[in-house]
Amino acid sequence: MSAEKTMPALQDPRQAQAFRFVRCGYADGVAELAYAFDDGPELVERVVFPQAPALPAERRAAFDAALRLLHLVAGVSYYKAGVPARIVVDGWTPDAAAAALMDELYLHGLAEFAYRNRLDLRGRIRFPRGGTAGAPATTLHLPRRTLVPIGGGKDSLVAVEALKRIGEQATAAWVGRSALIEACASRTGLPMLNLGRELSPLLFELNRLGAWNGHIPVTAINSAILACAALLYGHDTIAFANERSASSATLEYEGQAVNHQWSKGLAFERMFHAYLKSHVAADLHYCSLLRPFSELAVTRAFARLPQYFDAFSSCNRNFRILGPRPADRWCGQCPKCHFVFLALAPFLPKPRLLAIFGRNLLDDDAQTAGFDALMEYRDHKPFECVGEAAEARAAMEALAQRPEWREDALVARYREEIRPQILTAQLALEPWLEPSGEHLLPARLSGALDAIRGA
Amino acid sequence: MPDAPLPATVSAPAAAPLPPAAPWIVVKFGGTSVATRERWDTILRLAASRRAEGARVVVVVSALSGVTDALKALCALPPDERVAAAGRLTERHRALAAEMGLGRVEAMERWLDSLQRAAADGPGAGGELAWQAEVQAHGELLSSALGAVFLTAKGLSTQWLDARTCYAATDLPFLNERARLLSAQVEPRHDPALAADLAARGEVFITQGFIARDGQGRTVLLGRGGSDTSASYFGALLRAARVEIWTDVAGMFSANPRQVPAARLLTRLDYEEAQEIATTGAKVLHPRCLSPLREARVPLLIKDTQRPELAGTEIGPEVREQAPSIKAISSRRGITLVSMESVGMWQQVGFLADVFAHFKRHGLSVDLIGSAETNVTVSLDPTENLLDSDVVAALAADLARVCRVKVIAPCAAVTLVGRGMRGMLHKLSAVLAEFGQLRVHLITQSSNNLNLTFVVDEDVVDDLLPRLHEMLVRAGALRADDATLFGPSWQALYGRAAAAAPAPWWRAARPRLLKLAAERSPRYVYHLPTVRAHARALRASGVIDRLYYAVKANPHPVLLRALAEEGLGFECVSPGELAAVAANVPASAPRLFTPNFAPRGDYAEALADGILTTLDALHPLQHWGRLFKGREIALRVDLGRGLGHHDKVRTGGEGSKFGLPLDQLDAFLALADDCGARLRGLHAHLGSGILDAAHWGEVYAQLASLAERIGSIEFLNVGGGLGVPAHPDDLPLDVHAVMRHLAEVKRAYPQYALWMEPGRYLVAEAGVLLARVTQDKRKGAAHYLGADAGMNSLIRPALYAAWHEIVNLSRLDAEADTLYQVVGPICETGDVLGSDRRLPASAEGDVLLIANAGAYGAAMASRYNLREPAEETVIE
Repeated sequence: MSAEKTMPALQDPRQAQAFRFVRCGYADGVAELAYAFDDGPELVERVVFPQAPALPAERRAAFDAALRLLHLVAGVSYYKAGVPARIVVDGWTPDAAAAALMDELYLHGLAEFAYRNRLDLRGRIRFPRGGTAGAPATTLHLPRRTLVPIGGGKDSLVAVEALKRIGEQATAAWVGRSALIEACASRTGLPMLNLGRELSPLLFELNRLGAWNGHIPVTAINSAILACAALLYGHDTIAFANERSASSATLEYEGQAVNHQWSKGLAFERMFHAYLKSHVAADLHYCSLLRPFSELAVTRAFARLPQYFDAFSSCNRNFRILGPRPADRWCGQCPKCHFVFLALAPFLPKPRLLAIFGRNLLDDDAQTAGFDALMEYRDHKPFECVGEAAEARAAMEALAQRPEWREDALVARYREEIRPQILTAQLALEPWLEPSGEHLLPARLSGALDAIRGA
Repeated sequence: MPDAPLPATVSAPAAAPLPPAAPWIVVKFGGTSVATRERWDTILRLAASRRAEGARVVVVVSALSGVTDALKALCALPPDERVAAAGRLTERHRALAAEMGLGRVEAMERWLDSLQRAAADGPGAGGELAWQAEVQAHGELLSSALGAVFLTAKGLSTQWLDARTCYAATDLPFLNERARLLSAQVEPRHDPALAADLAARGEVFITQGFIARDGQGRTVLLGRGGSDTSASYFGALLRAARVEIWTDVAGMFSANPRQVPAARLLTRLDYEEAQEIATTGAKVLHPRCLSPLREARVPLLIKDTQRPELAGTEIGPEVREQAPSIKAISSRRGITLVSMESVGMWQQVGFLADVFAHFKRHGLSVDLIGSAETNVTVSLDPTENLLDSDVVAALAADLARVCRVKVIAPCAAVTLVGRGMRGMLHKLSAVLAEFGQLRVHLITQSSNNLNLTFVVDEDVVDDLLPRLHEMLVRAGALRADDATLFGPSWQALYGRAAAAAPAPWWRAARPRLLKLAAERSPRYVYHLPTVRAHARALRASGVIDRLYYAVKANPHPVLLRALAEEGLGFECVSPGELAAVAANVPASAPRLFTPNFAPRGDYAEALADGILTTLDALHPLQHWGRLFKGREIALRVDLGRGLGHHDKVRTGGEGSKFGLPLDQLDAFLALADDCGARLRGLHAHLGSGILDAAHWGEVYAQLASLAERIGSIEFLNVGGGLGVPAHPDDLPLDVHAVMRHLAEVKRAYPQYALWMEPGRYLVAEAGVLLARVTQDKRKGAAHYLGADAGMNSLIRPALYAAWHEIVNLSRLDAEADTLYQVVGPICETGDVLGSDRRLPASAEGDVLLIANAGAYGAAMASRYNLREPAEETVIE
C-alpha cells in the first residue's frame, strides 16, 4: 500500500459523485493504470509484461493507443464499486468511437452486476466524448503470429490444437497466476506468455466500506491487455476461443438483455475488432476461432484430444491448488461442471468421461436442479459461460437414446418427466455440429475451422 | 528371521563342501538392487550368509534399473538409431563393472556383443516378437553375467546359470504369439534331476529373472513382475527351503501405505491370504508368484534390502492356531459396474449364460458378481479397451434387448482380506455403519471365506481407507496388537522420523497426582503448562491470523484465562459459553458465536452484544432477517464430506446437521443482501480427530475458491478437529506440516485472513482423570476391574467408542500382565472405560490414570444415577 497515496482517506464509493480515470503509463514492462473516486486516493492497477522487449519506435503510437484503451476498459473493476453518476477522463478526451465502445462495454458488461444488485445503469453510463479522432491507424507490419489466450478449459485447447494443425506460429498467453492454466499451457507445447495483473489492494478496502460487488466483463480486460502484448512482443493476431452461444442472453430483465458472457459475444468482438483496426494498428487482428461453432461442436472436437483429459478444467470454483484427483479440478456442483459433463457425454466412452470427472453427475439426484437450469426447465440459464439450453437438451436427448446412459437418475428423469413436456422437433444433435454464422477470422486462419470441425 | 548387518567382505568360503542333499535358498534382487556397487556388496553379504547357513543358493537378478525399459524402447526405434541405443547400454554396463572394481568382464562382453548384433540386424526370420524377446532378455543376461564375476572375485565362488536351460514355458493353445513370447507362463514341478545336476556343479548360482525358453527353444519373457515369478519357479523346481524377495520395502502391509500411513507390516500370511491381497491391490508382489510355491509348500519371504534387520513378510502354509484377524484392506479403482435387471430371469434356464455370452463377445472379463432374483450386477476392471472404445455402449445396447441395463462408474472395490471372514462379522459393526453413509453398489463374499468386498463410488476411497483401517484396529477385527501377525506401521518404519515422543507430563507429576488422588477421587487434573505449550505451538508459525479456542471442549475458568493470556479468541456455541467467557477473560479477547439450531433469542442476545455470529442455515435470515441488518456475519458451509474417527464426531456431509449445503449458497447470499447483512467470513469444520496434516490446507483452498465468487469475504475459518493420538505409539499430528500446507495455500489466496478454532487439541493431553480401584470380579474369561469413575465423569468411551490410555499409577512400572475390562460404578452396560487393557494385577485403592481426558470429559459429565461426576483441579 505504500506506493498508494494514503491521504485523503478512502470513502464508501457508493457515495462518490464521479469516477475518474486519473492516468496511465508504461515503463520497464509494467503498465500502471490509476483511477479514483472524486478526489479520493488513487487506485492503481498494475499489468506486468514479463521480459518485455524494448518497444520499437514505429509501434510507440499504437502502443499508447492500446494502453489508453486498456486504461478505459480495466476501469470497469473500479467503476462498479460505486457506480457514480459522472465519469471523468483526466488528461485527454475520448473520441466518439472510443466513448461509444466504452458506453456499450460498461452497460452490457455490467448488466449481470446491475441485475444482481438491482441497479439500472441505462442512461447512467456516459463516457466523456468530443475528442478529435486522430489519423487512422497505420499498418505496422507486425510479425505474422497469433496470441492465443489459454483458460484451462476445453475451448482454448481446441483452438490451440486447430492452430497447430494448420501450422500457425502461436503463443499461449494468459493473465494472472493459475496453476491450472499453466499446466494446460505447458501441455500445448507452445511458447508461453504469462502476463501479470495486480488489482489495487485498495479495492479490497473499498469492499469493506460497502462497495458494490459482482460480475465484470473480464474477457474485455484480457483482450485489452493482449492488444498491448501483441504490440510489445510482436503478434498480428489475437485469437480467442469464444463460441457462438456466448452471444445469447442469459435472461431479460426489465427490458434489458442480460448476458453473463457479453464480452465473449460477437457484438463485443466486432466493436473491439473494429476499434483496434481503426485506432491502434490496421494489421492487428482480433477474432475468435470458435465463433461459428456451438458448444457441442467444440466439445466434440475436444473429445478428440485425450492428451488434455487429466489436465483441463472448466469448473468455476477456480481451484488454485491443483491436486491429482478429479475432485481437485471439478467441484461437480457448478453449472460449468454440469454443462461440460453433459456436452462431452455424447462424444466419449462413458467410463472415460467418468474417469475425467471422478464421478457420475447424471446419476446424482442432488444435481437435478443444476441440470434442469441448463435445459431451462423451470429455471433460467445459469449466470455462467455455458451453452444454450437447446444444446443441453439435445445432448440429454442423445443420452436418453443410449442404453449405457438411459437408466442414470437424471437421464431417466429427463425421459420420464421433462421430455414429454418439451417440443421434440429441435432435439437432434447433428445440426449443432455444423459451423454457422459470422466470424472475423483472417484468411490465414480459416483452415482452423476445418480442423475444429474434424474435416 | 532378522538379518544383522553383515561384514562388508566375505571371509573365506565355508571350508566344508555342502552335502548333495543340502537345502536350497533362492534370493531375488530387483533392478535398483543390482544397479550400484554398494548394492552388489549387499547381495554378496546376503548370498554368503545363506551359504554359511549350510544351504545352496540361487541368486535371481533383474536387469539394472531402467535397462528393460531402455531395451523395450530400443525395439521401437528406427533401425539407424538402434545401434546407438545399444551403445549407450554398453557404456552403462561397463561403467558399473568399473565401479565394481572389475576390469573387462568377458562373460558380460559376450552378451554386449550379442545385443549389438541383435540391435543391428533387427527382426529376422523368427519375426518381430521373437526378436523383441531376444533383445529384452539381454538386461538380465548382462546383470547376471556381471554378478557371477563380481561374487566370485569377492571370494564367493558363483556359477552363472542360464535360466532358459532350467524351465520351459507351458504351451497354452489359446495364447496368441504376443502372449506366448512376451508374457509366457511356466508350470514348474519339483525337478530332483535338475537339483542333483546343479548340486554337482556348485554351491552358489546366479541366474536371470524374467526369461525362459519355450517348447521350440526360443527365448521368451515372463511379463510384468517376471523376476519375482522366476524366483518362485526356482523355489518350486528345487523345492527350496525358502524363497526370499529382496526389495525396497519390508513386505506387504495391511493397506497401501500411500493411502494409509498407519498400515501395519504383515509379518505372517498364508498363501491364500497373500494371493488375495496381491490380487486386490498390493503391488509389492505379483500374484502370479504364489501358486507355484503354494503347491510345493515353499515359504516366501519379502525383505527390505536397505533394512535387513526388519522381519519382513513371511508367506507360508495356513497357520491353524492363530486368532482370526483381518489382515488387510485393499482397494482397486476405476471399476465399472454393469447392473442388469429383469423379472424374466427368475428360474429362467440359461439367462446368465446368455448374458455372459455378450460379455465374452465384447472381450470383457467379469470380476465380481452379485445376484438377486431380479438383478445381476457384475464388475469390469479398467482396461484401455473399456476407456477408449465404444465397447461399453455396444455391450449395453446388446444387453438392453434382454434386460434393463445400468452402467455404474467410476467405482472402487474395497476388499477386507483375512481368513475366516464370516466369523468376524460381529466385529464389523462400526465398519458397516461407515459403509451405511456411502452408496454401496455391490457386496461380495466368496465361499473361500477370505474376503469381503464392497463396491463404492470411487471418489470416497481416499478418505475412506485410512478411516476403515483405524476402525478395524479399534474394533479388534484387525489384531494389530498381535505381534505374531503384525509388525510396525509403515509410518513408523518409513515415515518422517518417529521422533521419540516426549513422555507425557503426568509421568513426572506422578507423586503429586497420587497425593491428589489420595485426597479425593475421582478427580480431573489439568496441567496448565501443557495447555500453554499447545497454544504456543499453533501460534508459533504465524501462519494463522486468528486462533479461537472452542470453549465447548473445556470451559474451566482457569483454562479460559490462560488461553486468553496466550492471545487466543473464544468460539462459543451457546449463551452459557458466552457468559462463561465474559466472566473470565478480558472484553478485548475476540469472540465468535457459532451456534447450531439455536433458538432466535440466542442470536438476538449475541448480536446485541456485538459478537460476530456464524450462521449455517437459511432459516435465520428468512425469518429473523431484521436481527441481522447492518451486521457482519460468517457462514458455515458444508463442503459435502465429513471426517473424523467416529460418525458422531463427523460434522460434514449429508448425515450431519451442520453447515449450509453449497447448493443453497446463492440463496443465502441473496437473503443476506435482502437483510442488509454483510458476509465477512466463510467457515467449514469437517470433524474431529483428523491426523492428516494436509486437511486444513485443503479446506482453506476450497473455501477460498468459494470466497472469490462472493467478493465481500475477509476471513476463512478452517475450523478445528486437530487430532490428538489416542494410543501412545501413534504418531502425533505434524503441526509444522499443517502450517506448511496452510502457508502454501495462503500464498495463492493472500487476500483472506486465516482463522482456526481448535478445542480438543489444546486441552486434551493436559487433562487426566484419576480414579481409584474399587474391586475386581471374574466372569468366565472376563476379568472386570472396577473404578470409582464412570461414564458420568467420562462418557467418550461409551459415546464415541473413544480409546483412552489407562495406567495403574500406583504400580506404574510393574509388569502389565493382567487383561482387564475397566468399568465404572454406573448401572449401565456401556459403563466401560477400557476393554481388554493390560495392567499390572491391581488391588482395591490403586490409583488409575485415564489419559487425554482434558477435552470433552468434565464438559460432558452428568449426574446420571445421581452420582456426582469427578471434580476438577488445575495444577501448574
